[in-house]
Amino acid sequence: MLRVRGLSLRYPNGKLALSDFELTVEAGELVVVLGGNGSGKSTLLRCITRTLKPSAGEIWLGQTNLCALEGEKLRRARLELAMIWQHASLVRRSTVLANVATGALGRHSTLRTVFGGLPAAELDAARGYLGDVGLADLAEQRAGTLSGGQAQRVAIARSLAQRPRVLLADEPVASLDPEAAEDIMRLLQRLARSERLAVLCVLHQVELAYAYADRVIGIRDGRIAFDLPRSQVSREAVHRLYIHEAA
Amino acid sequence: MSLDIAGRPAPRLSGADAWRRALTTAVHCVLALLGIAIVVQALIVVEARPQDLITGIHGMADIIWRAMPPDFSKLPAAAWPTLQTLDIALFGTMVGIVIAVPLALLAAANMTPSRYAYYAARAIIGFTRAVPDLVWALLFVTAVGLGPFPGGLALGVHSVGMLGRLFAETIEQMDMAPIHALELTGARRIQVFSHGIIPTLLPSLLGISLYRLDENIRSSLVLGFVGAGGIGFQLLTAMNLFQYQEVSLLLIIIFVIVLGAERLSAALRERLA
Repeated sequence: MLRVRGLSLRYPNGKLALSDFELTVEAGELVVVLGGNGSGKSTLLRCITRTLKPSAGEIWLGQTNLCALEGEKLRRARLELAMIWQHASLVRRSTVLANVATGALGRHSTLRTVFGGLPAAELDAARGYLGDVGLADLAEQRAGTLSGGQAQRVAIARSLAQRPRVLLADEPVASLDPEAAEDIMRLLQRLARSERLAVLCVLHQVELAYAYADRVIGIRDGRIAFDLPRSQVSREAVHRLYIHEAA
Repeated sequence: MSLDIAGRPAPRLSGADAWRRALTTAVHCVLALLGIAIVVQALIVVEARPQDLITGIHGMADIIWRAMPPDFSKLPAAAWPTLQTLDIALFGTMVGIVIAVPLALLAAANMTPSRYAYYAARAIIGFTRAVPDLVWALLFVTAVGLGPFPGGLALGVHSVGMLGRLFAETIEQMDMAPIHALELTGARRIQVFSHGIIPTLLPSLLGISLYRLDENIRSSLVLGFVGAGGIGFQLLTAMNLFQYQEVSLLLIIIFVIVLGAERLSAALRERLA
């Protein structure tokens, strides 16, 4: 589903942020990326969404190479690539339902959505996605009134409304308490299975990676240190990812 | 050896510390003298003569005496200029909003499509704000003649500057995370604007616009003095004709309008917050 081949990114100051990076995430799979601060985890996601332009390499979403796209073609390709962040990034004054439905904006005509809003069917679908994340009762509530865990669930529902094939998550539980963090990880795991989503999730919480990931990728200094099924990832290997940070 | 209040020996200042403390005290004294000098020069420049106020108070008392009681029989005649005053402010505010919103988008560093557009928009906003509304009114009276229309135009142009600056600052302070999130869903720029930027900014922009309307109502009262219509023009005419009882009635109307607009604007802004 998502294949990254020979991906490299060198910043204008000469620093190599990613070097010859290779990874594959299949549909229905939850892959967790671990690594120290500045190791290149978030940079990897920003390259995949093409917020950053890689210096070299290919990013394949199905049969489409995102690195070869610009403008309208890139926008269309992004419809299949959803992203959630550490903070939910919701429009605080809009309702929860309106926030979820905005995930589908790109699939509808500009005139229709700007002047007439989204079709009723899309709003019904948005209610369904809210039900999937367990927040159907909060549809009409303002997004600004939600707790951190609830807001993150709404952000996930918004990404589902996008109907993506790949879901990228950049430290989605970093600002949540342990219980809410477990809830979100369980939800991502369930969605990967039920919706056949390819989920690539950057985490700092090693225990959550051991509990929920199908596969774990370790990054150090912009290079892959290991890419293994969860059961084969040793504590020592994970520990080595963070050693240079402590030194 | 000296002791401090807790009974411990007080620390002795070294030579350098003593010098530093003396220097700080001297700087404070100079700053205080400088502050006093600024106030004194202001009194000299404005030719402040409090004694004149005391000797001339009987003149003021005479006018107030002649203005009593207010001539309420002129109330129906004051209704139309009152409506004109309110509508001048409303028209000016609406013109200001319509022009200021696109200008502010160009003048906000986080939204502008190009550096040239940014500087051009900032220049227009700065210029329309720098020229007082009274001067704009004089210019428009010359262009389109006496009456409420030049007043409305003057407030509109001046509001472009005032609103443009506040709108642009509000846009620049906006949380961009939801906007970036929408962009990455594959939404088009106009969709991001309609579903992300407008809902985020609308309450703030409405609040600023209501405040501007409140300010414009005050300004429209004064614009009448240069022939731009409304109750100000009525007030000037009554004063020139020594109709002080009518003047007092008009001042009561102005007081009610200003206070009412202020309260209404504050109440609406509170609801939007």
